[in-house]
Amino acid sequence: MIRDWLIKKILPRALWIYHVNCGACNGCDIEVLDTLTPYYDAERFGIRLVGSPRHADALVLCGPMTRQTAPAVRRAYEAVPDPKVVFAIGSCATGGGMWHDTYNVLGGADQVLPVDFYVPGCPPRPEAILHGVATALGLTTKEVKAMRAIQEGSDVEIEDLPEEQWLVQEQD
Amino acid sequence: MTAEQVTQGLRERIGDALLESEPRGDRRVYMTIDPAEVVAAADELFNKMGGRYVITAATDRREKHGSFLVTHFFSFDDDDLYVILHANVPEDDPRIASITPTIPGAGWAEREMQDLLGVEAVGHPDPRRLVLPDDWPTGVFPLRTDFSSQDKPEASMEGAPQMTAIPEGAVVVPIGPYFPTQHEPESFAVFVDGEVVVGSDYRGFYNHRGIEKLGSSDLTYNQIPFIAERICGICGFVHSCAYCMAVEEAAGIEVPRRADYIRTIFLELERLHSHMLWTGVAGHIIGYDTLFMQTWRMREPLMWLAEQLSGNRKTYGMNIVGGVRRDVDKKDFPKIEKVLADIEREWTALQEAVPGDRTLTARLGNVGVITPEEVRELCSLGPVARGSGDTVDIRVDHPYAAYDELEVSKCVEDGCDTLARTFVRLRETPVAISIIRQCLEQMPEGEIRAEITEEIPPGLQGIAAVEAPRGESFHWVLTGEENRPERWRVRAPTYSNLQAVSTMINGDVLADVPIDIGSLDPCYSCTDRMTVIDRRSGQMRVMTREEMRNSRNR
Repeated sequence: MIRDWLIKKILPRALWIYHVNCGACNGCDIEVLDTLTPYYDAERFGIRLVGSPRHADALVLCGPMTRQTAPAVRRAYEAVPDPKVVFAIGSCATGGGMWHDTYNVLGGADQVLPVDFYVPGCPPRPEAILHGVATALGLTTKEVKAMRAIQEGSDVEIEDLPEEQWLVQEQD
Repeated sequence: MTAEQVTQGLRERIGDALLESEPRGDRRVYMTIDPAEVVAAADELFNKMGGRYVITAATDRREKHGSFLVTHFFSFDDDDLYVILHANVPEDDPRIASITPTIPGAGWAEREMQDLLGVEAVGHPDPRRLVLPDDWPTGVFPLRTDFSSQDKPEASMEGAPQMTAIPEGAVVVPIGPYFPTQHEPESFAVFVDGEVVVGSDYRGFYNHRGIEKLGSSDLTYNQIPFIAERICGICGFVHSCAYCMAVEEAAGIEVPRRADYIRTIFLELERLHSHMLWTGVAGHIIGYDTLFMQTWRMREPLMWLAEQLSGNRKTYGMNIVGGVRRDVDKKDFPKIEKVLADIEREWTALQEAVPGDRTLTARLGNVGVITPEEVRELCSLGPVARGSGDTVDIRVDHPYAAYDELEVSKCVEDGCDTLARTFVRLRETPVAISIIRQCLEQMPEGEIRAEITEEIPPGLQGIAAVEAPRGESFHWVLTGEENRPERWRVRAPTYSNLQAVSTMINGDVLADVPIDIGSLDPCYSCTDRMTVIDRRSGQMRVMTREEMRNSRNR
């Protein structure tokens, strides 16, 4: 896809992101911030937060899309020059979270904008956010190990599935 | 003031309009008054007796009682007493006199009541829409019982709020209109004359998610702690803890002592991480990124510790009605001690460096001044109040969880400015460390949660206040049927503190506005948001009133 080509050819060395809170509780936002601090240091991948959507290559959305923020988020999205990518960070931005159907919430970020990548979690750990962004940029590969968990009463039985059932996304 | 004195005083002032007064223990007194005398009663409690206004809540009780219940909460901090003032407003004429002219700090709570329940506050000086989105149709009130939490009414721009009048000769600097914000997202319009701020307007509540509605229509008692924890991603444990304590008080559930101690440990861990986070963000706002990086580096082991103890870096999921879900094991104590010792060592060095740091003292001193009188009028809380000489600290004044057995020293400064608020937070960090150490020493053995076998009957009330890192977090629960509250009211401390912003920034130069707002620690921690303010204010993009309105309404 042209978008994948753009992402992997143009953006990997210096991805500038603009962080937008669509109505989040702060949890994801401070984890996004945490990725910039010394233990995680996103800048070593050329990733930095910028102060205006017009300077950005990517939008990082946190939180459920509320009725009041939706038009403003859309404007921020339009202000990002093409080619652009959109990350939805956290369970709320991914699917609306625990308030997905309340009167003031429209749902996840993809109800308003085209979202390219999702990093779920409540909140996702800084490592997860970095890994999600790095995977999108092709800096690392996505590996998914499949397992089946069955809960009966209070005991959870976890069973690893054979390797041929693992879902591994091909990187190019 | 004891409960009897308050009752006596009110009876003298409003006579028979005090319909009922029922003390519950020494710490609460529930009163019902005639709505016609609500202003007199509020004036008596706030101005004459010196109580502190907490919040207003309204409840739709039309189905069973044929009325709306409007409740004002007051606190007497020196006497560990909360006064709950109920007034029944008839359903065919949902109007009650506004107490905002008497108590300026009640402004938002009454506007919220108008928005969400359609109970009009008659005589409110600024009755514009506060909570609901701009495109919400007028006459639809989401917290009424005939509105389902999933209803999504058609958009209509009729009731959209307009900006307040701009002072003559001033220009508008928008901080916003869209602003990627967090706990209380905000869009400020700052009016400036040259560089000096002469006024401001505010439009917030961008991330109103309808949590109170969910709590009273969709969830059950034991599901709410988890949604309460997600009210705020920084101080969420405070909210789940306060909610559980309110239900426990209403239902008379005795919490095991060990659970109280575990709650206290987590409350203080949360305060530690929050204050360190704030110090870093404050440094970042004024362009001092070294401070930001250093404090967040110091803070990170604390997040790992929280993960080891609770299973998550934050939103711990520990609280449940009746106690906590996980024990803190003895074998974890050395780990906790080690993290605390490391933080204490580094923090002491930082604390000693700040008063001599010229960047910090020059940028923070004498800006964002709020006088003790204004603190009282606007009902500010937490470090904002304590930075201006007010001694309110719920941990000491209204002890909850295990605080009655612990030694807590209040950190009060009298500088009234942003620097004073910084010192309060810096000094509170070692206090939090000492509280956790006391908890580890004194924690008794035993159960961690109470068995609850009987259903909680409807119609009971409980309140709980917790000293969050930002001030008093207040929850009120009115129990209902179907295993869920009839009404659950949450008042986060920023709700009170943000109302003080326009007072604080008046007379400051524009460049100080971000740190003024930041000094409230208004539950936001987002770096890029601060950068936006800097750039926008730096460029001084001026919009006409018409443009501003259009961009807001688009």
